[in-house]
Amino acid sequence: MEAHEWMVRSTYQTEWITRRGIFLWLAMYAGGLGGGLYLVSLYFGSLLGMLAGLLIVAGLKGGFHFAYLGKPMRFWRIMLKPRTSWLTRGFIFVVLFVAFAAVQIALSHWLPGTVWEILFKVLAGVMATGVLVYTGFVLNSVKAVSLWNSPLLPLLFATCGLLGGFGVSTMIALYDSQVDLHAAETGSTFLLIVNALLIAVYLWRAVRRDETGKISVVDQMRGKAAPAFWIGVIVLGIAAPLVVALFGYFSGEVVPAVLMTGVICEMIGGLSVRYCLLKVGIYRPLFSRPSYLNP
Amino acid sequence: MKWGMVVDLSKCVRCYGCVVACRVEHFLPMGSDWPRLMAVEPDRNGTPPVVSTYPVRCNQCQEAPCVNVCPTGATYKREDGIVAVDQDKCVGCRYCVVVCPYQNRVFLTKSKDKGFFPDRGLTDFEKAGKRLYPHQHGTTGKCNFCMERIDAGMAQGLKPGMDREATPACVNTCQARALTFGDLDGHDSQVSRLIRERRGFQLHPEYGSNPSIYYVDSPKIGMVHLGPVVQGDVKESLAERM
Repeated sequence: MEAHEWMVRSTYQTEWITRRGIFLWLAMYAGGLGGGLYLVSLYFGSLLGMLAGLLIVAGLKGGFHFAYLGKPMRFWRIMLKPRTSWLTRGFIFVVLFVAFAAVQIALSHWLPGTVWEILFKVLAGVMATGVLVYTGFVLNSVKAVSLWNSPLLPLLFATCGLLGGFGVSTMIALYDSQVDLHAAETGSTFLLIVNALLIAVYLWRAVRRDETGKISVVDQMRGKAAPAFWIGVIVLGIAAPLVVALFGYFSGEVVPAVLMTGVICEMIGGLSVRYCLLKVGIYRPLFSRPSYLNP
Repeated sequence: MKWGMVVDLSKCVRCYGCVVACRVEHFLPMGSDWPRLMAVEPDRNGTPPVVSTYPVRCNQCQEAPCVNVCPTGATYKREDGIVAVDQDKCVGCRYCVVVCPYQNRVFLTKSKDKGFFPDRGLTDFEKAGKRLYPHQHGTTGKCNFCMERIDAGMAQGLKPGMDREATPACVNTCQARALTFGDLDGHDSQVSRLIRERRGFQLHPEYGSNPSIYYVDSPKIGMVHLGPVVQGDVKESLAERM
């Protein structure tokens, strides 16, 4: 028989990042990107962007969740506990967002300027915001993982999603005149800076929270998640898109290849942020190690 | 009535009897351990090793985070305080596995359930288990205080914790009498007395989950794990070991 030492020490959560947990990570990212893109497109009035946001949430996010569930054919049961479960709330946000956004896009295409169009824009916008932030609350509800136990997490997920939305909008601006490229780039640059600051504050607070939080952050910077953090989040997710944005801002030139590179980097950054958060989610030890056993 | 358990850490001899008894009682497939023993056995450079054992299982929390987060209602709390899982309702999202601060829930997958002797087919015992106590792949499971035994025993007028037929299998099996089962609401029940007299403590009370499993320790022999329960004589005992 094996002596279980794993809960004596801090233990990594694995269910939501290893094996089929990879689908959950991708679903979290798709939800943020789709919701963010829809909201940004709503601001610019881009039907193409709204449709893309809707398809990302309905197709990609929904598909990844479906692939992740142990019993996918029972998925409808997820909507049964909205009073206490953030997963139920998230499911409701997603379903209502898909329904409202589909109606809104149809109304905007065939009956623009009607009261119904405005109503559905508001409803779909509220649901998109829910889709954007609910995963932050899902992780936040896990009290034993110090890194996740922060009120900043939903905010971080919201800014990450909006950042992705602004990034994809700059690409859409090349094909859709409704999107103001300059405004999209400015929004993207602003959110990049906000996001970088938020990540720094988030990690700093996690270090100060307790020993397990500190272990998570140290592991993120020096351990197994370090490549994802330094290359994915810092270099590709923040530095590279910032360089691309500043290049476009000061040169005044729009080079589609450079723009595309910046957007892809931003997307890798968004994926990496969520990967790091899930990968270094560590539980507090079940029993404290008696002090006289420490070296 | 609220069922609970007291684990006497000073009595546990690390025989794994509770683990095996649970496996037999519930026909648990490989890769699915409901009770577990955590053991710390550090090498102290030639000195006799200090072995400490911590039997852990689902804490049947009264404010169970798993019940709150379960999106389908598959995990529910009974009136007697037992937290149970209805595998027919479980969708396999694993939110309960992740949210459990004690990491005492297991997710059963087909890849884990290869049988006790992979590539040699199922044993008769396993075949009987699949028929009598089917565990569904893609759902979660956990200790349920042998609620079937409790229900069946109480229907016959037996008393859980006192009569073997109505008592969890691990408690019956424990040869060292390290596990005690009973009613936490009963002032004079054995579990209540143990908790009161030997200063029983719960794991991580700061999470507010209010576990129904308490631990007691011997000041002379056992190890002390949590700050608030350290007593003077224990400190002396530890100092002697140093």
